[in-house]
Amino acid sequence: MTSETAAPVGPFYDALHANYIVTLGDKLDSPTSYEGAVTEHLRVSGVYWSLAALALLRTEGEVDDLMGLTKPIQAATDGTDENKIRSAIVDWVFQCYDARVGGFGGNCSGENPHDAHLLYTLSALQVLAISNSLDDERLDKDAIANYVSSLQNEDGSFSGDEWGEIDTRFTYIAFSCLALLGKLPLPDWNNSNSTQVVSEEKPIIDTYKAVKYIMSCRNFDGGFGCVPGAESHAGQVFTCVGALSIAQSLHLLEDADLLSWWLAERQCDSGGLNGRPEKQADVCYSWWILSALSILGRVDWINTGKLGQFILNCQDDEDGGIADRPMDMPDVYHTFFGLCGLSLIGQLEKIGNKEGQNYRQIDPVFALPTDVVSRLGLKAQVIRNGGVDVEKRLQLHSILDI
Amino acid sequence: MNIPDVFSDIDPISQSDGPEPACAITYTPEFVEAHDYLRAVLKADERSERAFALTTICLKFNPANYTCWHFRRRCLVSLCTPTDSDARATVDVERIDTDLEFADKLGGTNPKNYQLWYHRRALLEIRFKGDERIQVAQKELGYVDKILGDDNKNYHAWSHRQWIIRTINQPQLWSAEIEYSHSKILLDPRNNSAWNQRWFATHEGEIAANSGMKLGKLSFEKAEEEANYAVCGAQVDPFNESPWRYLIGVLMEQCRWVQREEGADDKDKVNGLLRDCVAKIKDMNDSPTEDYPAGPCVSLMSALVDLLETVGDKTSLEEAKNMMGELVVEDPVRRKYWHKRQSTVLVLLGKVSE
Ligand SMILES: [Zn+2]
Repeated sequence: MTSETAAPVGPFYDALHANYIVTLGDKLDSPTSYEGAVTEHLRVSGVYWSLAALALLRTEGEVDDLMGLTKPIQAATDGTDENKIRSAIVDWVFQCYDARVGGFGGNCSGENPHDAHLLYTLSALQVLAISNSLDDERLDKDAIANYVSSLQNEDGSFSGDEWGEIDTRFTYIAFSCLALLGKLPLPDWNNSNSTQVVSEEKPIIDTYKAVKYIMSCRNFDGGFGCVPGAESHAGQVFTCVGALSIAQSLHLLEDADLLSWWLAERQCDSGGLNGRPEKQADVCYSWWILSALSILGRVDWINTGKLGQFILNCQDDEDGGIADRPMDMPDVYHTFFGLCGLSLIGQLEKIGNKEGQNYRQIDPVFALPTDVVSRLGLKAQVIRNGGVDVEKRLQLHSILDI
Repeated sequence: MNIPDVFSDIDPISQSDGPEPACAITYTPEFVEAHDYLRAVLKADERSERAFALTTICLKFNPANYTCWHFRRRCLVSLCTPTDSDARATVDVERIDTDLEFADKLGGTNPKNYQLWYHRRALLEIRFKGDERIQVAQKELGYVDKILGDDNKNYHAWSHRQWIIRTINQPQLWSAEIEYSHSKILLDPRNNSAWNQRWFATHEGEIAANSGMKLGKLSFEKAEEEANYAVCGAQVDPFNESPWRYLIGVLMEQCRWVQREEGADDKDKVNGLLRDCVAKIKDMNDSPTEDYPAGPCVSLMSALVDLLETVGDKTSLEEAKNMMGELVVEDPVRRKYWHKRQSTVLVLLGKVSE
């Protein structure tokens, strides 16, 4: 009988993946490439996925050298320009900042940032967090906090941009942005059921109302949807559980077992996880589901050995990268979330990199390497389930016993 | 449309590509030309027919351009509403309907782009006025049905239906939506989105009907109907996860409520319903139909152990414990989970035996 947590069989292509991510940066620069065209409008997010993926495989210094995070590097060229220099990613990120609104766009055209969006604002802050640049003087923390605040609606929900799409994803993103900026007011559940008032000033957002809105999106099956009434979806479960975790409000999750069972039932016979009943397994759900199960203290409810095997089967053994499912084309999004999946089930450590060193670990709440989270002093909340020891990586958060 | 001719009085604003090669993006010349003029009319906020036509061109290039959609609506509202004093009465509804068709065509048969749905919603907010709003809503529900015919789990489409029904909030639409979800379940019993819609229509419909008494739960009579509906669905295909979740959802909602409200009249009725469902599921487990593979059915068994635990007497807990033992073997992917459940049920058994 195989153990549920056994290390998966088959090679892990560390060097190929690292190479895939590094060369992707150059492909992204080339608008004629497929990768460049499809990610053009969300470049900032693409850069975040690349950096975060590489951060799980390489040290901070190596990431900087390979990607040109804080300094310009020589770009690989298509032969037309031998000495093409690519500016530092951090500098480019600041070019995507729209000072008029206080948010980041998904890209920039020359000096002009594209329209700001909450999604890209978080990706930009995550890039700055990874590169230890959150104290860069170009970062106007107050302006960004005000931008996030301006997107909160009367009912507590958040819109992604000024045109108004509402989605529980945006609540998670808003919380995460403010936490990274050190400006998230926490609800005071012991007292007046209201957002903690630190000073006489009005808090930047109404976290209490935002959390209430999240809870109004809970469904009969224990899961969460995009808006009240919408079907449960694994991606939404992560954003809602993650938001509750950041806001230290996980005690509101009565019946965490029902939710966790819904998540566990997403595991298919292949070992992979799907996002909704009767949908195909897909590597990215390794992240959405495992991160939620980690926060809920119930990763062992699924067969992690089989899941690890599924993720390894989605690797491209020639060019590196991880695809959504076996035999598909890899992309950076699934590469990042596949690595996250392997990290969250503790298998990346078991595989070990070529120097025999441990890989850096991913934090399931902030989707950043744990060393970055601890450097920033970020503190979310995780559940200790039935007295089982909380994984080491989670111990930097506060622990809720239920 | 020859853009430079039509906009001969306007200076196009080109995208200023700076010296940074990291940000250079190449588009086709047609794309660039259209967007250079779009930037110019946006800047001038020119809400004219030709500006409207230009947004059509740009959206065909890139239907995800939300700035362009927004500007198109600005144009449309200006063009539809006469500028004289009693503008209110004379919105050109035909023109709005034509634009709904434009969004329909642009989205094709499987629109997943949020902007298209948002555009419809913004236009419908104008159209959901006066007596014809129910008719307009029904027509829009017909459109969504067409989309769901192509992809019966399209998340935006189901959300759009919910928005329409909530916004109109008429009893006839609520009850029609229960029927609609039923028809979609018949077509594909494993369509979880349709089961979710049924929950939405029964629950929010009931809340809307009894606006004075928002219990946030179904009446016992309705719950009984819905539980039976779910059991029937499970009998059709016991390997289908959706009816089981629906059943547990309906029953747990009632149980939680009678637990909270001390001495509620419904307590005995709810317990009766719970035991009734358990009996039916046990029957299914003992005599499976010929249509399905013989042998254990994990969905059925996991629902049954949940309900047996809820019943909570000694016999039921013993049965639950034994069945969890079977699940350890039959559901190997979640073996550890079932081990855990076994240990919790042992604790419960210890408590009832004391
Ligand atoms: Zn995916």
